[in-house]
Amino acid sequence: MKYLWDSVWDVFHFFFSLGRRARKAKVFYLISFLPVVLAGIFKFSQIFTGEPHFEGIYIFSNMIMGFYLQFLILILALFYGTSVCSEELEGKTLTYLTTRPVPKPAIILGKYVAYTALVILMVVFGFVFSFLILNVNDLLNFSLYKILLRNMAVLVLGLICYTAFFTLIGTFLKRSIMFGLIFSFGWENVIQYFPGSTQRFAIVHYLKSLLPAQVSEGFAFLLFRLEPTPPWLAVLILFLITGVFLTVACLIFSWQEYILQD
Amino acid sequence: MTPVIQVQNLSRWYGNVLGLSDVTLEIDAGITGLLGPNGAGKSTFLKLITGQIKPNIGSVAISGQKVKNNYSLFRTIGFCPEQDAYYDELTGWQFLTGLLRLYHFSEPEIVRHAQKALDIVELTPDKDRIIKSYSRGMRQRLKVAQAIAHEPEILILDEPLNGLDPLSRRKIIRLIKTYKQEGKTIIVSSHVLPEIEAMTQKIILIHQGKIFAEGDIHYIRDLIEKHPHIVSIRCSDPRKLASLFIAHDFVLKVNFLAGNDSLLVETNNRDKFFGLLPSLFVEHNIEVFEITSPDDNLQAVFDYLIGQ
Repeated sequence: MKYLWDSVWDVFHFFFSLGRRARKAKVFYLISFLPVVLAGIFKFSQIFTGEPHFEGIYIFSNMIMGFYLQFLILILALFYGTSVCSEELEGKTLTYLTTRPVPKPAIILGKYVAYTALVILMVVFGFVFSFLILNVNDLLNFSLYKILLRNMAVLVLGLICYTAFFTLIGTFLKRSIMFGLIFSFGWENVIQYFPGSTQRFAIVHYLKSLLPAQVSEGFAFLLFRLEPTPPWLAVLILFLITGVFLTVACLIFSWQEYILQD
Repeated sequence: MTPVIQVQNLSRWYGNVLGLSDVTLEIDAGITGLLGPNGAGKSTFLKLITGQIKPNIGSVAISGQKVKNNYSLFRTIGFCPEQDAYYDELTGWQFLTGLLRLYHFSEPEIVRHAQKALDIVELTPDKDRIIKSYSRGMRQRLKVAQAIAHEPEILILDEPLNGLDPLSRRKIIRLIKTYKQEGKTIIVSSHVLPEIEAMTQKIILIHQGKIFAEGDIHYIRDLIEKHPHIVSIRCSDPRKLASLFIAHDFVLKVNFLAGNDSLLVETNNRDKFFGLLPSLFVEHNIEVFEITSPDDNLQAVFDYLIGQ
């Protein structure tokens, strides 16, 4: 077991460093900083017009629901999760990994941890900056930081779980991005509004169940028909399905034979 | 003694396409050339012995151990894949040290191994450039570097000279020969006969997923008794020598090469022919400048075998 974890660490080290340098990372860093730009524009317009229409925390909550939860974490998890396996196949670099003294599950787990850590960093920086900008007049109000931490924890959990799901998809589907887009903006967006227990088949249901009740009227529709799962159970389920996704991904990757096409 | 690589009845299909068919062979230390045209099954064979794909039938053992999912075995194997694929956004140094990390070396060991491998393939001055900016030859040498960096006992190189300029080609051939001198096992695949010939006389001929012949070049030639053998001789009196040759029934044809003092002799019995030569030179006082056997290369053997 120690050998497996040592291998996971070594794979993580290699791909975290590789992931930071990749062109893809730069594009996603820019996308992740969009809320900071929007927050800046909003705050400047408030300062110059002198019309404080909304409180910072109100804008911030909308941003989480509208941009982070419904778009950014899905996109990041999709592109990084599926690439755990598919980029090795498309780039024909898989051979470099499978001919090293590293157990195959360590390749999947190491890359998953590396890419999850990267996307968490991308999200957290933009998230904290936009929070600080939007609440620049109220930075000594420590109750706001509790909201920040809780929201951040929800997004981190979302990234952990979605990236694991897309890692699994990437191990056996050739058109994993296409499937991922349909899942993210089809399934997840629709199922969450189904009444009763059907909405529990969407990952976003558990994430929404963990959010503090700060959603504004403008985005209230996003919580429409939400029948929240108790927070402790939601966390448990998110970790449980992450574990299942990763276990199955490791099994498939160990069994599957990947033929690199010339 | 257990052979380094032992393959038993190895077969592999890709759907309806035959990749490799019922291959049984043993490979010992030294350089073994795996020779065959494109699509012959060379890469399939190498992927099977490195556990990247599973055989439909048969088994592979390296140093007496099974290969599939035996990841610890890869400490002793260095593999250079055919495809020109890298983590392009890394520098040569980052690529090598990153892959060396997967052998669980300590940091100083990683640096030492990477430095040594880069020195061997003569890429040290370019180690901090990103791979994307490397020439084809440099990329190929980097690929070889990642295979040798952990100092493996078994080196498996899939078309390592593909697309290289003559200088880079010579460097890699020299490197492979150095490895042989260290008592290691090297398997080199190629579809270009002179490339293999420049490295080894021990070859495996593969075609349409089957092993046509294995052994050294002379052994393979002995298998082909009917295949004529051509010898070029440059001497002081080629006409006299020609008249002496035609008296023997194992000499099939004699041609004079225009513009020099050489003649080309075709024989169907190599041993008798070479047994006769010294006595003819001595008895008739003919001075010999050069004896070459242009036919004694793998191309001739290969063409002949494929034609059968």
